Amino acid sequence: MEKKLGVYSIIASLVTSVVIVSFFYLIALQKLGAHPDIYRPVDVYAGMVYVFILAMIVSASIWPGIIEKRLIKN
Amino acid sequence: MEDVTIKIKGMMCGHCEKTVAEAAKNVKGVTKALSDFKKGEAKVSFDSSVTDLETIKKAIADSGYEVIEDGEACPIPVRSATVPQQVKTVDKEGGIKKDFEYDSSKVSLAEFENAITSLGYGVAKNEVTLKVGLMHCASCALNIETALKKTPGITSVNVSFPLERARISYDPEQISAPDMIKIIEGVGYTASEKLDRSDADREQRAREEEIKRQRTNFIIALVLAVPISLGDMGRNLNWTFVPDILKNDYLLFILATLVMLFPGRQFFVGTYKGLRHGMTDMNLLIATGTGAAYTVSVAATFLDLGEAYKHTYYDTAALLIMFIVLGRYLEAFTKGKTSEAIRKLMGLAAKTARIIVNGEEKEIPVEAVKFNDIVVVRPGEKIPVDGKVTEGLTAVDESMLTGESMPVEKTAGSEVIGATMNKTGMIKFQATKVGADTALAQIIKLVEDAQTQKAPIQKLADIVAGHFILAVHVLALLAFFFWFFIGFEYFNVPGTFGMGMTSPFLFSLLISITVLIISCPCAVGLATPIAIMVGTGKGAENGILIKGGEALEKAQKLDTIVFDKTGTLTKGEPALTDVIAIKGSESEVLKLAAIAEKGSEHPLGEAILKGAKERGIDLPDAEGFRAIPGHGVEVKYRGKKVLIGTRKLMAENGMDITPLSARLEELEHSGKTAMIVAQDNEIVGMIAVADTLKESSKEAVEELHKMGFSVAMITGDNKRTADAIAKQVGIDRVLSEVLPEDKASEIKKLQSEGKKVAMVGDGINDAPALMQSDVGIAIGSGTDVAIESAQIVLIKNDVRDVSKSIRLSRMTLNKIKQNLFWAFFYNSVGIPIAMGILYPFTSPPFLLNPAVAAAAMAASSVTVTMNTLLMKRIKLDR
Repeated sequence: MEKKLGVYSIIASLVTSVVIVSFFYLIALQKLGAHPDIYRPVDVYAGMVYVFILAMIVSASIWPGIIEKRLIKN
Repeated sequence: MEDVTIKIKGMMCGHCEKTVAEAAKNVKGVTKALSDFKKGEAKVSFDSSVTDLETIKKAIADSGYEVIEDGEACPIPVRSATVPQQVKTVDKEGGIKKDFEYDSSKVSLAEFENAITSLGYGVAKNEVTLKVGLMHCASCALNIETALKKTPGITSVNVSFPLERARISYDPEQISAPDMIKIIEGVGYTASEKLDRSDADREQRAREEEIKRQRTNFIIALVLAVPISLGDMGRNLNWTFVPDILKNDYLLFILATLVMLFPGRQFFVGTYKGLRHGMTDMNLLIATGTGAAYTVSVAATFLDLGEAYKHTYYDTAALLIMFIVLGRYLEAFTKGKTSEAIRKLMGLAAKTARIIVNGEEKEIPVEAVKFNDIVVVRPGEKIPVDGKVTEGLTAVDESMLTGESMPVEKTAGSEVIGATMNKTGMIKFQATKVGADTALAQIIKLVEDAQTQKAPIQKLADIVAGHFILAVHVLALLAFFFWFFIGFEYFNVPGTFGMGMTSPFLFSLLISITVLIISCPCAVGLATPIAIMVGTGKGAENGILIKGGEALEKAQKLDTIVFDKTGTLTKGEPALTDVIAIKGSESEVLKLAAIAEKGSEHPLGEAILKGAKERGIDLPDAEGFRAIPGHGVEVKYRGKKVLIGTRKLMAENGMDITPLSARLEELEHSGKTAMIVAQDNEIVGMIAVADTLKESSKEAVEELHKMGFSVAMITGDNKRTADAIAKQVGIDRVLSEVLPEDKASEIKKLQSEGKKVAMVGDGINDAPALMQSDVGIAIGSGTDVAIESAQIVLIKNDVRDVSKSIRLSRMTLNKIKQNLFWAFFYNSVGIPIAMGILYPFTSPPFLLNPAVAAAAMAASSVTVTMNTLLMKRIKLDR
């Protein structure tokens, strides 16, 4: 169960983080197009890295608890 | 044939033993009866076809002693118990053991334990206290608790961050201490079993090393951060006084890298260890914040990312680490002060003892002293273990344990306590308690247990601290999103700072870093346990042992204090109060009575003897001493028969007691035991003996009244006697004629009136009442500190300490509330400011600098600790 929990948690966290980063990227692209004087590609890419790190920390803190409950229930 | 053990209350001496045994033996069908006044019981063998248990109990009760019914709480508290899954072994004081079996499918272990404790017994489980290292905040403590709670076989866990202890109840059939250590190490912390004095010394050394390490880290960070800040800010703000060499990116990179590698390494290593085991803690917040500032600066140094990315934030990273390391240094330093009480107690123990071996004195380590060894202590030396004096006369300073400033005189038969100081004479004593059984060891254990127990008020702090790291990262992420997509453009940041000076990413990143850095779960996590540590430690220094945060919390809600009379408000031993001469002088009457009682072991006789000696009366020996159980004594003195005893004894000897009746009743109504003295069948006088009030009782009651408490007294005495005593001490409510078994229900009645009641008793006979009360306060006797039924134990046997203990509880709880307020206030104000909430409303726009946030964060936990340490300076007397 421990192994399953670890693998499922990493997958869920990665998926969540990718979703959040994609969300960030989509909005950032719009901003980049609308305000090229303010936003630069480097802001978007650096922002994506930072958002990914924070999103991974957050989701890696949330998912193990949820998955553990599910595994125990099943 | 049936064998039973009957619990009896009221036996005080060998004479009482004899009376009880005789009473039982007089019942037809009883073949054997042995009683033991120390254990408070009688073992009776009887033929069940001839008599029954009830008849025997009635006979004992008729002889003047109380029989405690089955199912009632035994007056002897249970000391400890081991709890495997199916069997509990309960080890009573006095060596009586009892095994319990229960069906775990029908009742849980916790329910079973509750059932036992509700009967007035204590259940000590298989518990281990582990020393835990590498915790940096309350989240670390919660991480360890979570990891252990998940493990089968562990029933409860309390991890104290400031104390660095984990107290774990467990089932030894499923898990062992080394297994638990592995689990703790598995989540990134260190653990070891403790505790003896050498461990305490080691712990002290470890703490000193930690202080030294953080001081070195701080000095390195300071030395590097100053040129980095000058260089970075000098370049950004065009400070001309800063040498150009310091403004060089590559030099700043090297210096900042040194900061990250040396003082800053601990945060990244801690984060890595935690994340490897799925745990997040304070280190993660710092690592994310400083790591982001450093990474962006490195990228700006080595890559061409555009105009806005020409600025580096090495100063931010360096200053963050410098301030946080300063905070850790101050915290390690002040945390050491909070646990001083335990260290002081541990330091009290003597290191060696001198024992008699084959008639010669031999010096051995104190750990090697065995039960019954004869120990020699010279003036000026520490008494190594607990024992009973066999030879010598001295005065012992017990202030270090009891807080009592006056030295206590010790002669043969007196009890001495280990770790106290022998002042004047050489004594020899027999060791009665050694190792973990000594009073000092028990006090240390009790205080440590109290410090690792969580107060109910801490629940909120734990919930907050448990989700704090996650919540702060979510807030940091939200702040980043807001300022990146909305705030930067909406609040015209480029217009304020100049487009070349910043970018949406850098601006949002700095705000996000500030949020991560300013958040301080440490202050929230420290607020309660550190106050409990200082409060219980201060209590221990004053002879007040408070068993944990729950007792502290309940004590400050009390409104009614109920005192047991005998042994609590009164001395618990009779003293001579009145001598009335009918023929001859008072001293002649007293002399005759004392001569008659000279051979008596009865406490009343001893009181008369003591009274005569105090008056300097010469007491020659009498002849033909005969004790008449339940009635008195008879002797021959100078050829004349001397009788001292009850009305019945005099009547049986043909004397008319009618003229004395009024005086006798008067004495009895004022709570005294009156005896008639006769010589050659002629009444010569009366003697009265009573349990006298302690000198401090009146003062104690007055003090409680001043504090606004309603004070009651509970006693088995008749109403008139009880009223008389209550009047002397100024008690407003008297619960008289209450049988020992009914004391608990009387407390319950008071509680049903909506009162919050503290019961003050001796902790043995009053166990059920102490358990029933909201806070049980046991008046100890110096060595007996492990009274299970009480939540507060007063070692000094001084009732004035009741008000002190309540004052200490109030003080500690106030400190907890203050700490929690500041911790929550700091975070709830600091985080929104860090998120840039003031930016739109201030001119020029206000943003919190990450370095200032780091300084504030470091200051918050130090403030909480310093605020708590102020308690150490407060006196408990007023």
